[in-house]
Amino acid sequence: MAELKIEGVAKTFGQTRVLHDIDVTVPDGGFLSLLGPSGCGKTTLMRIVAGLEVPSAGRVLIGGRDVTDLAPEARNIALMFQSYALMPHLTVAENVRFPLRMRRQGSRAEQEARVAEALELVQLSALAGRMPRQLSGGQQQRVALARAIVARPDVLLLDEPLSNLDARLREDMQVELIELHRRLKLTTVFVTHDQDEALSLSDRVAVMQGGRIEQEDAPDALYDRPATRFVAEFIGGANVIELAPPGALGVSGARLVLPPGAAPEGARAVALRQEDLALTADSAGADYALPVKIETRIFLGARARYRLRAGGLVLLAMVPRGALAQADVATHVVWSAQAMRFLSR
Amino acid sequence: MSDRITAAARRESLALLAPGIAVLLLAFLLPVAVILVTSVRDPAGGLTAAHFAKFFVDDYYLRIAWRTLRLALAITAVTVIFGLPLAWIMVRAGPRLRFAIMLMVILPLMTSVVIRTFGWLVVLGNGGLLARLGEFLGLDGRALVLMHTETGVVIAMAQVLLPFMVLTLLGVLRAIPRDLEEAARTMGAGFWATMRLVVLPLAVPGIVSGSLIVFALSISSFITPSLVGGVRLPVLASSIYQSIGGSFDWPFAAAQSVLLLAATLAVIIPYTRLARGRT
Repeated sequence: MAELKIEGVAKTFGQTRVLHDIDVTVPDGGFLSLLGPSGCGKTTLMRIVAGLEVPSAGRVLIGGRDVTDLAPEARNIALMFQSYALMPHLTVAENVRFPLRMRRQGSRAEQEARVAEALELVQLSALAGRMPRQLSGGQQQRVALARAIVARPDVLLLDEPLSNLDARLREDMQVELIELHRRLKLTTVFVTHDQDEALSLSDRVAVMQGGRIEQEDAPDALYDRPATRFVAEFIGGANVIELAPPGALGVSGARLVLPPGAAPEGARAVALRQEDLALTADSAGADYALPVKIETRIFLGARARYRLRAGGLVLLAMVPRGALAQADVATHVVWSAQAMRFLSR
Repeated sequence: MSDRITAAARRESLALLAPGIAVLLLAFLLPVAVILVTSVRDPAGGLTAAHFAKFFVDDYYLRIAWRTLRLALAITAVTVIFGLPLAWIMVRAGPRLRFAIMLMVILPLMTSVVIRTFGWLVVLGNGGLLARLGEFLGLDGRALVLMHTETGVVIAMAQVLLPFMVLTLLGVLRAIPRDLEEAARTMGAGFWATMRLVVLPLAVPGIVSGSLIVFALSISSFITPSLVGGVRLPVLASSIYQSIGGSFDWPFAAAQSVLLLAATLAVIIPYTRLARGRT
C-alpha cells in the first residue's frame, strides 16, 4: 500500500505524442479511474505506471520511491489485463500463486494458504484445480482478480477488467470490486471507457482526452460541474450549446441566445443535461422555454430519449416514463436557471 | 433421412481423399511392403532372419546404427537451441528485422543441399576458413579442421535443417499472447524466469513437432553426412547405399531400411503421444 504519484509524464511514439505532461496523484488506499474514449492515452499511462512502457519525460513515484527506471518485475504492482492473461498451462491455484512464487513471499505452505484466501475472496475455492480454459469468462475474470490482489501490491492497476463481461455480470462485479477495495484498501487505478463504471467505483475520476487529463475530480463534482465541453459531453452526454451574443431568448443558427446577464462574463457555451430538460405544452412559469419540434422518440424502458429541434439547434432530452404522455404533445422545452453549466472553453 | 445425409457426406469425403490415398498406396506403402518382403526372403524364396542377423552380429554395423542415432539426436538438439531464440526474436521483432531474419532462414532452402554442403567443405576443410582462424589464433594447425568429424556433420546438418525447426516454432510462438509475458513481468518474473516459466512451456508443442521433422530428416539423411563425414564416418543411409551400389546385396539393404524405419517410428510414436498429452 502506497501513494502513487505521476509527475509530468509524457510519451511519444515516433512522431505521435500520446501523453502530454500528465500530473496526477492517487493517495494511499485511493481509487482513481482513468476515463476516456479509446486512443485517449489512458492505457499507455497505466502501462507506464506498470513499467511496461518507458515515459519520454517525467517521473513515477510509488510510496515516495522513484520507480521510473525500474523494470516491471522490480515494482511491487499488479496489473489485471483486459484479456485476463491467465497462464493457460497452469491451474487456477498455480496462476494465483505465480506472483507469490516470483516475489518469493513466504514458504510454499504460506503461499498456498494465501492463494486459498484470495480464491475464497473471489468465491472460486471450488475451482482451484481447474485449468483456465475450463472456466467461463466471469470465472476467469475472478481468477485474474485474485491473482492481482494476492501479493498485496503497492498499486493495483485494472485495465478495462469488466469490458468482456455481459451487462448483468458486470454489475455484480462492480459491487464486488467496491467491496474488495473497501476491505483491502489497495491503491487502485482503474482504466475504463465506461463512464458509469468510473462514476460508480471511484473516489476520483480523471477524464482523459487526446493525451491530456481534461478534469480530475470526485465523481459527483465531475457530473455536476464539468469544466470543459468534452467532459460535459462525455459524462452523461449533456447538450453542449454554443452561446450567441446576449439578446431576447431564442435560437440563432445552431447557437442559443440568452438574455443579458443570464450567462457570466467569458462564457462561450452552456451545458444542459438531458434529464434537466422537460417537455411541456404549457411553458408558463419556467425559467427558460424554447418552442421545439419533436423529431424522434427512442423508448428505453424506464425513460425515453427525445430528439428535439429548435431552428438550427438540436437537443436531446431524457423524459421519465410517467411524463411520456405529456411529452408527446409538447410544444416547448423548458429548463431551470440552476440546470445551466457555463463553459469558458 | 439424416443417415442418408451422413452416408453421402462420407462418400464425398472419401472422394476428396482418394487421390491422396492412391499416391500414398502406390508411392509409399507398396515400396515399403516390397522392402519388408525383400528383407526376410532367402535366395531360395523361403523366410529367413539372416539379413537382420548380419547387421546385429557385426560390430561395424552396430557402430553405424549408434552413430546415426547419436548424430540425429545432436542435430535435433542443436536446431532447438538455435531455433528457439531465433523464432522468438522473429515473433517479437519489428517487420523489417523479421523480414531480414526470415530471408536468412529461408534462403538456404532455395539452394540445393549439395551446394550448401560444398559450402561447408570450404569452411570446415583442411586449409578452410575455420582452420585459418585456428592458425590465426595460434592453435595447432589441425585443431579446427572439422571435416570428417561428427562435429562437422552436426554443424552442416543443423544449418541445413534449421529452417524446418524455425518455421515450425514460429507458428507456435506467434500464437502465445504477448499479454502473458507482460503479465509475468508485472507479477515479479524477470526476463529469464518469464522465458522459462511462460514461453518455454507454451512452446513445447512446437518444439515437439519441429524436433520430429528434424529428427526424421537427419536420421535418414545421406548427402551431407557422406560429403562432410566421408567414408570414415558412414551412417545408415550411406551404408544402405553401399550395400546396393557396392555389393549388390539388396536383401541386406532392405533389412537396414527396415531397421531405420523402425528406429524412426520408435522415436516418433512416443513423441506424438507426448505432444497430444500436452494439448
